[in-house]
Amino acid sequence: MLRRLFQGLDYPLIGLTLLLSSLGVAMIASATQDTRLEGLWVGQAGAIAIGVLLLLVVAATDYRKLADRSPVLLGIALVVLIATLAIAPRIAGTKRWLSVGPVQFQPSEFAKIVAALVIAKLFSEMKKESLGLGDLLVPATITGVLALTIAAAPDLGTAVSLLPMFFVGAFLAGLRYKSILILSGFLVVFGLISWEFLLRDYQKARIYSFLDPDLDPRGSGYQKKQSQIAVGSGGLTGKGYGEGSQTQLGYLPARQTDFIFSVLAEEFGFVGVGVTLGLYLALLWRCLDIARLARDRLGAILVSCLTATLTFQVVYNVAMVAGLLPVKGLPLPLMSAGRSSVLATFITLGLILSVRMRRFAN
Amino acid sequence: MKIYEDLRSAQQRLDGLQNGLLALVALLLLQFWLLQGVHSKHYRELAENNRIRTLSIAAPRGMLTDRNGNILAENKPAFRIVVTMGPSGSVDRISGTLSSLLKVDEAEIRQKLSRPRAAYQPVTIKTKATFEDVAAVEARRREMPEVSVEVVPVRSYPLARSAAHVVGRVGEVTDRQLKQPAFADFEPGRLVGQSGLEALYNEDLTGTDGLRRMVVNSRGVEIELSEDQPARGGGAVELTLSTDLQAAMEGAFANRAGSAAALDPFTGEILGLVSSPGFDPNSFTSGIERTVWEGLTRDPRTPLLNRAVQGQYAPGSLFKVVVAAAALEEGLISPESTTFCPGYASIYGHVFKCNRPSGHGVVSLGRALGDSCNVYFYQLGARLEIERIAAYARKFGLGSVTGVDLPSEARGLIPDTAWKERLFKAPWYQGETISVSIGQGQVLATPLQMARMMAAIANGGRLVRPHIVRLVAGKPAVYEPAVSMGFKPSTIAAIRRGLFMAVNSGGSGQHAHIAEVEVAGKTGSAQVVSSAKLTKDIEAIQPHAWFAGFAPFDSPRIVLAVLVDHGGSGGAAAAPVARAIFARFLLPRSLSPVERRVSP
Repeated sequence: MLRRLFQGLDYPLIGLTLLLSSLGVAMIASATQDTRLEGLWVGQAGAIAIGVLLLLVVAATDYRKLADRSPVLLGIALVVLIATLAIAPRIAGTKRWLSVGPVQFQPSEFAKIVAALVIAKLFSEMKKESLGLGDLLVPATITGVLALTIAAAPDLGTAVSLLPMFFVGAFLAGLRYKSILILSGFLVVFGLISWEFLLRDYQKARIYSFLDPDLDPRGSGYQKKQSQIAVGSGGLTGKGYGEGSQTQLGYLPARQTDFIFSVLAEEFGFVGVGVTLGLYLALLWRCLDIARLARDRLGAILVSCLTATLTFQVVYNVAMVAGLLPVKGLPLPLMSAGRSSVLATFITLGLILSVRMRRFAN
Repeated sequence: MKIYEDLRSAQQRLDGLQNGLLALVALLLLQFWLLQGVHSKHYRELAENNRIRTLSIAAPRGMLTDRNGNILAENKPAFRIVVTMGPSGSVDRISGTLSSLLKVDEAEIRQKLSRPRAAYQPVTIKTKATFEDVAAVEARRREMPEVSVEVVPVRSYPLARSAAHVVGRVGEVTDRQLKQPAFADFEPGRLVGQSGLEALYNEDLTGTDGLRRMVVNSRGVEIELSEDQPARGGGAVELTLSTDLQAAMEGAFANRAGSAAALDPFTGEILGLVSSPGFDPNSFTSGIERTVWEGLTRDPRTPLLNRAVQGQYAPGSLFKVVVAAAALEEGLISPESTTFCPGYASIYGHVFKCNRPSGHGVVSLGRALGDSCNVYFYQLGARLEIERIAAYARKFGLGSVTGVDLPSEARGLIPDTAWKERLFKAPWYQGETISVSIGQGQVLATPLQMARMMAAIANGGRLVRPHIVRLVAGKPAVYEPAVSMGFKPSTIAAIRRGLFMAVNSGGSGQHAHIAEVEVAGKTGSAQVVSSAKLTKDIEAIQPHAWFAGFAPFDSPRIVLAVLVDHGGSGGAAAAPVARAIFARFLLPRSLSPVERRVSP
C-alpha cells in the first residue's frame, strides 16, 4: 500500500509545492523579523509539515469514495459554518474563526474542498454529451447556498472563489458554448444594471463595509498604495532579503499574510516575481495535466475545480498586490502565513494527487 | 457503468483552461513589469519619502549688542506644540483632546491639520506654549504619539521698546521677499528681519539651518539617524550704540513724539538714536496679533517710522549754519561783519519779517547765529543766491543719504533751479531763496543729517559717515573715513563762536546751558506747511522744535540733534531735551560716560 502510494506520487508537483512553501516561510521570516511576530515562520513550517502528512493521507484515500460521501460532507460543512456564525468570537469584525481546543481554524477554507467534491460529483453524474443552462440549476443552488453561508461570516473573498470552481466544473462537464455566452452575457448585464440603477452610492459603500470590513481600515487606498510602493520600489532585482524598507519599517500592511507577495516583490524585485509566478504557473499547469490524465469525468472535473480555486486565489492575490484589484482578505496559497490556508491547500493538492495515482486501473 | 468514460471533449477544454492560465500569468507579469521596470524610479522615491523624515533645525539668529556688550536682541527658548502625522494619521482622534488641553479652537486645529502636507511634516498647533501646555502634552505622549513639544529659539529683546527702530523687528518672510534671490532658501513662515538692523544684516544674523534625516517606521518612531548637520548660529552684530545713553535719550523725550540722534563727532559712530513713539519688537517675534498690528499702522503718530533717518523736516534755523559757512567761504562777510536788523527786511520788493519784530539792532555773525536773527540771513541768502546755498548744503551732506547702515534712509531735499525746473517746469523765484536761507520753504532734512552737519562744525570741518555697527560676526565693519569739507579754519571757528553764544550768552539756545560743561548749539523751528492749519488741532499747527549742538565746546565728545514734533519753539521745547541728554552723558554723577573706543 505505502509502496504503491510513493510510486504513484507526482514528485514534480510535490517539489513545486515544497519550493513555494519554503519560499513562503523565508518571506514570512523576513516580514516578521524584529517584530512581535518574530518566529512566526517556525509555526508556518510546522503547519507545512502537518500539511505534507495530510497530503499523503488524502492522496492515499480514493477520491471516488470521498465524492460518494459528498452529501454528508456538505451537511457537515454547512453545520460547522452556521455554528461558526453562531458561536465564533468576533475577530476584526468578522466571524470566520472557530476554536477547537487550543487550535483555531477557518472552516470556510475547508468548505471550499467540500464544494469541489459536491460540484464534481453532481457534474460527473450528468452523463450527457453537452449541458444546457437548465442542467446547472441543482449545482448552482447548492454552490449558492454554500457561498452565501460563507459570505455571511462575512468572508466575501472565499465565497467568491466558489464561482470559478462552479464555472470550470460546468465548462468541463460540457456546458454548451451558446449557454456560456448567454450566461456570461446575463451576468454582465445583471451586474451592470444592479450596480448602476438599483444601488445608490451610500448603499454601495454600506455593502462594501458590511461585506468587507477590512477594506481600507486605515484610510482611503492606504494598503493598495503601500503595496504598490513596495512592489515598484523593488525594481528589477529587489532591495535584498530582509532589506525592504516598506516591509521592515512596517509600511506594508498584513505583510506576513495577504501581502506576502509584496514582500517578495520588494526584496527580490521583478526577477523574484518572475521566478515565483513561473513556479505557480508550473504548479497549476501540472494540476491541469493531471486533470487531463484522470481516468473518469469525476476525477477530471474534481481536479479542475480544485485547480480553479487555487488559480483564483493566486491570481486574485497577486493582482491585488499589484494594485489591479480591490483589497480583499484572500491569502496567497502556499506562501501566506496561516495554518488553515496551508492545510486546506495541502489537502487540495492531496486530492489532486489522489486522482493522479488512480489514473490507470480500477 | 462504463469502465472508461469518453473524456476527449473534457480534455480539449482543459487545453483551453491551460491557455487561459498562461494568459492570466502573462497579464500579471506585464503589470509587474510596469511597476518594477518602467515606473520603479517613481516608487523608489515614494518609498524614500516613507522611510526618511527630514527635520530642519532652526539656526539661532545672531545677537545684537551695544558697544559695551549689553544685549539688545537675543534668543530665548520657547515651546511650540507640533503635530507630526504619518500618512495614515487620524485627525479626529487627537483634535478634541488637543483642543481642550491647549484651549485652542478645535475647528482651527482641524483646519491646520487638514491642509495638504507631506507625511511627517510637522504642523505647529500652538506657538508660545505655556509650561502647563507642555506638561499636559508630555503627560499624554503615549495616547498621542503624534503630538510633541519642540523647543525653538525665539527672538527676544530684553530692552523691549528701547532702540526698537534701530534694532528693528522680525516677521514672517513675505511672499514678495520669497521671490527675491536673497530669500531663495527660506521656507514660507520663516521669521526674517523686517526692519532696522534685523533686516539690514539679516543675512549675517540668519546663520545656517541644521538638518536631521531620520529613518522612521510606519508608526513614526525613529529607527536611526541617517544624517545630522547641526545648525550654525548667525553672526553677532555689535553696535556703536550705548544702551545707557539711549535710555537717557528716550527718558528725556518722555511721551513726546520726536527724534534725536547722538554721534561721536570725530568717527560718526551713532551713540544713540531715538524715534518716539516707539514699539515693542517682542510683540512680533511669534507672529503679531492683528489688533496690535493695526494699532501700530493706523496710529497717526506713526510709531513704526524711524524718524531719525526716515522723517524729513524743514531744518529751520539750523540751516543758518550752512548759509553762514557759505557766506564766509565765499568771502561775502568776515567773522566781524555786522548788519542792522530793524525787525524786517525788504528784499525784491517783498517784506520779510525777523523772528524778533522789534529787531536785533546791530548784529555780528556771532549774535546773528546766537539770537537766530532772520534778517541777517535773508541778506546773506539774497547775496549768495540759491545755487551757491545749495552747493554748500551739499558739502554738508544734505540732500543725499548719509549712508548710515539703517534701511530706508530718506535723502531730504535741497532745492535749486534745476530741481524746480525738473519738478515744476517753472523758473526759480528769488523770493524762494529768502525762505531757503532760514531753512524753510522746500528744504528738508532728517535729524541724522542735522547731527552730521553739526558734527562737521564740532570736529573742525570734516564730514563723517554716520554708522551704527562696529562688528559683524567678529569682523570690524569698515567705513570710509571722515572727509574734509575744505573750509577755512576761520569759517569753522566763527560758526562755533556763534553756536557757543546761542547757548551760553542768553541766546536762543540758553535752555541747553549746563553750568559744568560748555555746550554749543543752534535752535530751529520748522514751519508746518500742511492742511493741519485748517483743522482746529492746535498742537498740529505748532512748528517742529529743533536743537542741534555739541559738547564739551573745546573737545567735543558728543553731537546731538533733537527734534520735538510740533514742539513749538526750538529754544523752549528742544533745547531742554538736549540739555538733559548732554548732562546725562557728560556729567559722571548722572551717567557713566561712554567708554571711548577708537574706531578701527
